[in-house]
Amino acid sequence: MSDHREFEAEREKIDFLLEKGYVIKGVTENLSGAFLEFEYKGNEHDQPGKERLHILHPDSRKYFSTILVQQQKKQGVK
Amino acid sequence: MADLSLNLAGIKSPNPFWLASAPPTNSGYQVQRAFEAGWGGAVWKTLGEPILNVSSRFAAVDFNGKNVAGFNNIELITDRPLEVNLKEIYETKKKYPNHAIIASLMVEPTQEKWHEIVKKVEDVGVDGLELNFGCPHGMAERGMGAASGQVPELVEKQTMWAKEVAQTPVIVKLTPNITDITFTAEAAVNGGADAVSMINTINSLAGVDLDSWDTVPNVAGKGAHGGYCGPAVKPIALNMVAECARHPKINVPISGMGGVSSWREAVEFMLMGATGVQVCTAAMHHGFSIVEDMIEGLDNYLEDKGMDSVMDIVGKSVEKYSDWGNLDLNHQVVAKINNEVCINCNKCHIACEDTSHQCIDMLKDAEGNDILKVREEDCVGCNLCSIVCPVDGAIDMVEYANGKPPMTWNERQAAIGAASSCDVNLIK
Ligand SMILES: Cc1cc2nc3c(=O)[nH]c(=O)nc-3n(C[C@H](O)[C@H](O)[C@H](O)COP(=O)(O)O)c2cc1C
Repeated sequence: MSDHREFEAEREKIDFLLEKGYVIKGVTENLSGAFLEFEYKGNEHDQPGKERLHILHPDSRKYFSTILVQQQKKQGVK
Repeated sequence: MADLSLNLAGIKSPNPFWLASAPPTNSGYQVQRAFEAGWGGAVWKTLGEPILNVSSRFAAVDFNGKNVAGFNNIELITDRPLEVNLKEIYETKKKYPNHAIIASLMVEPTQEKWHEIVKKVEDVGVDGLELNFGCPHGMAERGMGAASGQVPELVEKQTMWAKEVAQTPVIVKLTPNITDITFTAEAAVNGGADAVSMINTINSLAGVDLDSWDTVPNVAGKGAHGGYCGPAVKPIALNMVAECARHPKINVPISGMGGVSSWREAVEFMLMGATGVQVCTAAMHHGFSIVEDMIEGLDNYLEDKGMDSVMDIVGKSVEKYSDWGNLDLNHQVVAKINNEVCINCNKCHIACEDTSHQCIDMLKDAEGNDILKVREEDCVGCNLCSIVCPVDGAIDMVEYANGKPPMTWNERQAAIGAASSCDVNLIK
C-alpha cells in the first residue's frame, strides 16, 4: 500500500466514527503514534458506545487534530 | 540614488558597509585606502596590550572547486603599541571626518583597565567603541575575548565599566561560541550597551593533512583551534542576528557580520534586523574594491523596491521569523517536474528514492521518452529534489491548495490538552 493509501485508510476510519455521531473524547500520543478515544452518547435508536483508534500516519495525525482545533474554535474552547 | 547613509546608535556613516575589526583595518594606511575605495566605516583591528602572533596564521576551506568557502585564522589582536594605532586613528579621522571609525577594544576584565583604554581611544576622536568579547583563541586562554564573552555576568560587568567612562556609543561584539547568543546579548544590554554586533569567529579546525597528519594550519607541526568565518558561516550568523532582533529584551541596534560577501547578504542581514553590516573575509579574499559592487547593488535593490533610504529595510523580515511551534502544519508544497526542461539526469529520483519519500516515478511518455513524475499525494514538500536538481527551472516547488485551515503545532497541542481535560462535545 502506498504511503498515501495508508493515510486514506486511517482517515476513512476516523470519518466513519465521526459520521456515526462519535466524538473524540481524548488523545494519547506516545512512541507508537496516537490513540484516539471516541465516545457516542447514544439516542433513542442507538446504545451509547466507545471506540478506540490507533493512528499511525503523520497525515492522519494532522487530520484528526485539525478537526479537533476547528471544533474547539467553533465551541469557543480556550 | 537612494539614501544609503547609516545611523547605528548615533554612529553615522555614508553607507552601511563597514570593515570588521581584522587584518584589513590593521593600520591607518589600510583604513584610508578602504575609505577611498568607498567603505562607509571601519572597526579598527582590536586594540589592547600588543600581542605576539605565530606564523602561519590562516587556512581556507575550499568546496567543489570554489576557494574560500570558509576561512580559518589563529591570529590574535593588534601587535602594535597603542600609541601607534591612536596616532593613525587620529590622522585617519581628521582626513575622513564623515566616515565612521570605531575602536575595537580588548583588555583584562578589570574596571581599571577598561577605564584606561576607553579614555585613551576616545581622546583621539573615534566615533564609537566595540568591545571584543569574541576572539576565540589565544586571548581566550588569557581570560579575555570569548572566555569573558561566554559568561553573561562578565559581559554585563565589562560593558558597565566601559560605559562608566565612555562618551561615544558602545557596541558589544559577541561570540557565537555559545549555545544561545541572546543570553549574552541581553547581558550586554543590561550592562548599558548602545548596540551589539555579531558574529565573531566560530571555533574551528580547518583540516588535517592526510600525508603529514599535521593540522591545517599548523605552526612547526602543532595546531590550535582557530576562528571560522567567511561564506560558510553566513546562515549561523544570520540566525543569531535574527534571534537577537526578535528578542523583546534586546532592544538596541545590531551590527551584523559573518559571511557577508556582496550586497545580497548585506540586505539579508538588514532585513533580519541588522543596522548595517561588517565585512572581513570577502575583503581579504577580493580586496577593498568589492565595496563598489556592494554600493551599486544595494542602490539598485532599493530603487527596484521603491525605497528611499536603506534604513527603511532594517528589520522588515523579523516578524516573519518565529518558533517552529508557530508554523502551519497544514501548509503544503509539492514538487512539479518540468519535463520540457528536465535533462533526465535522475538526480531527483535518486535523492527522493534513497533519502526522502519515494514519490518520484521514472515513466515513459506517449512517445516512449523517459520522463519523471511526482506522485503529489505522497510528496511531503521537503524541497530535496529541487535542491539537488542541476537545471534551473526543471523542478518548481508549488503551493498545493489542500483546503485545510491553518494549524500550528502549538494550537494542536493546546487542542489535544483541552480535549483530554474538559468535556468537549466534538460533533462533526
Ligand atoms: C584573520 C582574522 C583576524 C581577525 N581579528 C579580529 C580582531 O582582532 N577583532 C575582532 O573583533 N574580530 C576579529 N576577526 C573577526 C572578524 O572581525 C569578523 O567578526 C569575522 O571574520 C566574521 O566576518 P566575515 O565572515 O566577513 O569574515 C578576525 C577575523 C579574521 C579572519
